[in-house]
Amino acid sequence: MLLEVSGLDVRYGRNHAVKSMDLTIGEGEVVTVLGANGAGKSSLLKAIQGTVKPSGGRVRLGGRDVTGWSAPRRVRDGLVLVPEGRQIFVSLTVHENLQMGAYSRREPVEAEISDIYERFPNLAQRRDMPASVLSGGEQQMLAIGRALLAKPKLMMLDEPSLGLSPILVQQLFQLIDQLNRDGLAILLVEQNTFMALQSAHRAYVLELGETVLQGTPEQLAEEEKKLEAAYLGAS
Amino acid sequence: MEVLLQQIVNGLMLGGVYVMVAVAFTLVIGMLNFLNFTIPALFMVGAVMIWAVMQKGFGPGVDTFLNDTVGAQNKWIVGVVVALVVVSLLSLVIERFTYRYMKAKYGDATEHALPLVSSLGFLIIFEHFVIGRWGSDPLTMDSPFGNASFYVGTVQFSTPQTISLALSLAIVFSISLMLKKTKLGRALRSIAERPDTATLMGVDVNRIVPLVYVIAGLLCGIAGVLFAINYTTLDAYIGDKVATIAIAGMVLGGLGNVWGAVVGGLFVGLLEVLSIHWLGASIVKVPIWGMLLLILIIKPTGLFGHSAIGKGKF
Ligand SMILES: Nc1ncnc2c1ncn2[C@@H]1O[C@H](COP(=O)(O)OP(=O)(O)OP(=O)(O)O)[C@@H](O)[C@H]1O
Ligand SMILES: [Mg+2]
Repeated sequence: MLLEVSGLDVRYGRNHAVKSMDLTIGEGEVVTVLGANGAGKSSLLKAIQGTVKPSGGRVRLGGRDVTGWSAPRRVRDGLVLVPEGRQIFVSLTVHENLQMGAYSRREPVEAEISDIYERFPNLAQRRDMPASVLSGGEQQMLAIGRALLAKPKLMMLDEPSLGLSPILVQQLFQLIDQLNRDGLAILLVEQNTFMALQSAHRAYVLELGETVLQGTPEQLAEEEKKLEAAYLGAS
Repeated sequence: MEVLLQQIVNGLMLGGVYVMVAVAFTLVIGMLNFLNFTIPALFMVGAVMIWAVMQKGFGPGVDTFLNDTVGAQNKWIVGVVVALVVVSLLSLVIERFTYRYMKAKYGDATEHALPLVSSLGFLIIFEHFVIGRWGSDPLTMDSPFGNASFYVGTVQFSTPQTISLALSLAIVFSISLMLKKTKLGRALRSIAERPDTATLMGVDVNRIVPLVYVIAGLLCGIAGVLFAINYTTLDAYIGDKVATIAIAGMVLGGLGNVWGAVVGGLFVGLLEVLSIHWLGASIVKVPIWGMLLLILIIKPTGLFGHSAIGKGKF
């Protein structure tokens, strides 16, 4: 297993945001975590990355227990998060943002940055401009490009489709499929259930911090039918 | 005319001291959004340390030892080293109790007024420590370089002052280059804008923030040393006096803007010397703070600041 999360708890004071979560991701898998606002999706990703300290449970990366590790150390070990809202550095240029992505690496990355520019020509055009000039879609490209430069084994994306037009959402999911075909494992948090289930091999559904459903997209569709039937039967 | 020219030169020389202190303030504000009042304390400590080494401040035993080992004429070098080592160590202590403690306890040190208050506490403690040890009377020292000077036309340039000004500009230029061109500089700017996202890039914020404190501390320490060498009279409150003027210079240049602090620092030096020349020493703070209040009313972002008070403006 690439990532194994067991019994993970996140609390903010009395607010129990993630409740005893179990989750696994294998090599080359795309796993999606779905849930409404406030379900605890971001908290889960932050606890996996190590920027929020879980109050209980363990996180294993590539078989090693990383629960006590700092977030930067997890980045160096190939775990990279594209945060909610993209969070690019607007006071840095586009190019400097990409260089920041490679901060944890010692070897030269200029060739890889060129690859990113080839993949996202819009970014190449704006290479030396402050990243504040980018549109929302371009910012998302930059955020993903920046994450790729950290050479992730597992990339976590927190609601990447948020605020993008339908066409850009299409392109985003094509990109996710492509990255996965190249071997990258992806943990995708989404509220766009329809699109996420098309790209994912497996899914978890969170409600108020608890896993209420999990399985392959087909299994989830099956469950949904049952639920609907139950609701219909009850009414 | 010649008198005026001489005053302008003197003003720029004094401005060189303010530049370094203003840059120290602006770095900490730009990075951590925090007006750090230990900056005047570290300036004073730097000045007092070189004074103490030069003028038997650590007792006759230490002085004899220094005379025997490095020689009387080289004591100033020991003074510089002692000053810089002490301010660096103090900077690390201060970081633990201002930034790191707040960050650990509240998740974000910069959104609170508390670090400002604790830094004020350090300032007062350091000042009273110096008063307790060496008294509150002015401390005078002999400049290791005497009155070395040269003339351009009829205008006199003190050699150590000229070297000090060049040194302070060179240091600020290197810092600005480091911020712009190096990996560390990018990391610092990214922390200034979004420390949490910088962490996601693998930047170990808890390791880099102490470095910011040390850089700012060294700027003040060097400024304090140069002040002591060039002006030869100091006391426990010298940091307050210099820093309040340097703050005016920093605000004039624009908070968080390194080159703004350079221009602002030189300008307040000039303003101070010319005010003394025209208006007299007793009233010198009025034009400086009057200028500051005017700037805050007309253009609170300063000459070169491009956004309101806040983070991320290198
Ligand atoms: N820093 C915090 N301090 C206190 N409570 C928090 C904090 N962050 C999140 N919460 C709370 O934890 C719960 C889960 O929040 P989280 O951000 O993980 O949800 P989410 O599923 O990502 O929601 P969204 O879809 O809106 O991004 C919410 O009730 C939220 O109010
Ligand atoms: Mg969220």
